[in-house]
Amino acid sequence: MSETRETRLFMISPRSTLTPDQLARMVHAYGAEALVKETCYGCLVEGPRELVLSIRDRVREGYPNEVFTKIRAYPSSDPRRCRAMHGTRPGYAQLEMEWELLARVQHGLDEVAKGARYVPPEEKKRIPVNDFKRICEVRR
Amino acid sequence: MTIKIAQLSCGTEYSSVQYEIEKAARSVGAKIVYPDVSASDIDEAVKRFGFVPRSPQLKLMIARAVRLADGKYDADAVFITTCFRCSDAAFVRNELSRFIQENTRLPVVTYSFTERLKASQLLTRMEALVTIVTRKELLSRERQTGITVGLDSGSSTTKAVVMENNKIIGKDWTPSGDVVASAEAVLGNALKMAGIEMSQVEAIGTTGYGRFTLGDHFGAKLVQEELTVNSKGAVWLADRQRGEATILDIGGMDNKAITVRDGVPDNFTMGGICAGASGRFLEMTSKRLKIEVTQLGALADKGNWRNAKMNSYCSVFGIQDLVTTLGEGKRFEDVAAAACHSVAEQVYEQQLQEIDVRHPIIQVGGTSLISGLVTAVGEILGEAPIVPPDSQYIGAVGGALLSSGLL
Amino acid sequence: MKVFIDPPNSLVLFDLVERFGHEPLSTMAAIQERVDNIEVDMPPMNVTLDDVVKGLKYAGVEVPSGVRGRLALWGPLIDEADAAIIMDDCPYSFGCVGCERSNLMVKYLIKRRGIPALRVTYPENDEQAVNFVAQTKEFLEGLQ
Repeated sequence: MSETRETRLFMISPRSTLTPDQLARMVHAYGAEALVKETCYGCLVEGPRELVLSIRDRVREGYPNEVFTKIRAYPSSDPRRCRAMHGTRPGYAQLEMEWELLARVQHGLDEVAKGARYVPPEEKKRIPVNDFKRICEVRR
Repeated sequence: MTIKIAQLSCGTEYSSVQYEIEKAARSVGAKIVYPDVSASDIDEAVKRFGFVPRSPQLKLMIARAVRLADGKYDADAVFITTCFRCSDAAFVRNELSRFIQENTRLPVVTYSFTERLKASQLLTRMEALVTIVTRKELLSRERQTGITVGLDSGSSTTKAVVMENNKIIGKDWTPSGDVVASAEAVLGNALKMAGIEMSQVEAIGTTGYGRFTLGDHFGAKLVQEELTVNSKGAVWLADRQRGEATILDIGGMDNKAITVRDGVPDNFTMGGICAGASGRFLEMTSKRLKIEVTQLGALADKGNWRNAKMNSYCSVFGIQDLVTTLGEGKRFEDVAAAACHSVAEQVYEQQLQEIDVRHPIIQVGGTSLISGLVTAVGEILGEAPIVPPDSQYIGAVGGALLSSGLL
Repeated sequence: MKVFIDPPNSLVLFDLVERFGHEPLSTMAAIQERVDNIEVDMPPMNVTLDDVVKGLKYAGVEVPSGVRGRLALWGPLIDEADAAIIMDDCPYSFGCVGCERSNLMVKYLIKRRGIPALRVTYPENDEQAVNFVAQTKEFLEGLQ
């Protein structure tokens, strides 16, 4: 991984009341040298890796379960991935779908923080053919 | 004006070919674009289309096609491309091509790529898409006017045609050697036949592999790829300028299958990786049979391909099979018929599967003079193709016809 | 520890792996290496012919080039991983994970490596989400 550049997207869970504008300003305050770009889902942050990681840690301290983050391969505004030049890229649809899931993950994190534990779900089994046959016969 | 070519694809970025596709588009003044879709559009689009592939990227392709069909995204042409050897993608590629044709008036080209794809292989296809968009008016021209010349510099032969007031008055062809020298020779003979001096020629149109070199050398008014030019020549020669048709051109090096509406291509495929599916196979067979390729067709018509066993389509192993059957005492006629059948079958499997064959089928190019091949194509397609007179001159006729539109 | 995530571009899995103290191995990092390499000019991702050929280590030549190119990105990450988290039944999987055949092979390659691997199911309601987070946390915290 590159030590010189890290580009990271911060995405706000749909359950959060935080706005991209608030997040972007907060991130900017945590690291003035970083490039911060407000987006529809949160913000994009770019800077030296150490700085970006420290921003990530501070965002997590402030909003532990409602802001999610991952790195981005391309630098901010890279023409190779620019929507204005090519239209949306395939990964965009993925981000849209994951954004919806964040509300549930936020809830999961909240509950786990309160002590919820993993409970193996009941295994779904197909009913034996004979049982199925009996049901069909009863219903007939 | 930059032409926007909408790309519907799967696998290009991971096959190291996306750059080549964009390079090919750029070099003909076009730009690759992706129709915008949001995640929520995808399931709905796939449901509407009705084919549900396992791969999400193929679903995205479908959603993008639906966007184009609904007129919600502005593009001038469509390029559909997927990985070679992926069956799911092949279904989607072919069905989307049909879907786009049924629901839009955008020209479409399909292509299945390997990681070895280079921009140059796509150039003719991209150029054709751009020509169809930018030269719509010229392509709708149905009559040749004045005195014009068409030069077709193909991989196997070079052809020249002189036309005056919608009639061919001079023509000649020769096996391709030096691009300029071959063209000068056939042009000289065609002019002599027409009784015309070069100074009387009002415009020249060039096409085929050597079109740029010839265009520069002769100061041609029209330098255009062979897909659109040949289509025009074919419908003019077959007198099918209006309505639909499929043009099948089995060339020396590559094959073209083009569907046209009123003489303008709206879908085409072009293959060129297998000598076994080209005129070259028939040339090599003739050589091994020690006959002229011009004799092969008539010989094949007298034979039955079922009598000569071929285990391979390959131009090396397939021909070896044919020679072996001769050694077993099979007739020359059957071997010639088997060679023609083999090429026709290959063209059917490789090219015609990618387009929706429309009727009538017009078979053109030098190989259309090999009657056994035309018979074999007819047998496989269940319909005898039309072979117009001078069918080997389609490119040259198209060049002369279209260049007269630039006078 | 280095934890390979599948889907390899998942925001949720990347975030959880980091959050619970490990290093996620993702497509983004593999592509970053390539896009930052200005010696190679094959935009948009600089996945080159060499990469696709390297993919032959994971799949034969009869496998489509797009699959081999993808495996060339992820194969080395799986080789390097100490553990993996796989999310099954994702309704989302676009971009690099758009090819179902490649995705199948990735799951198999993880299995073949024999590293600790957790299979989680995409949560469809809040209750399942609690279970998903708890299960992931317990797995990651248990990695030594």
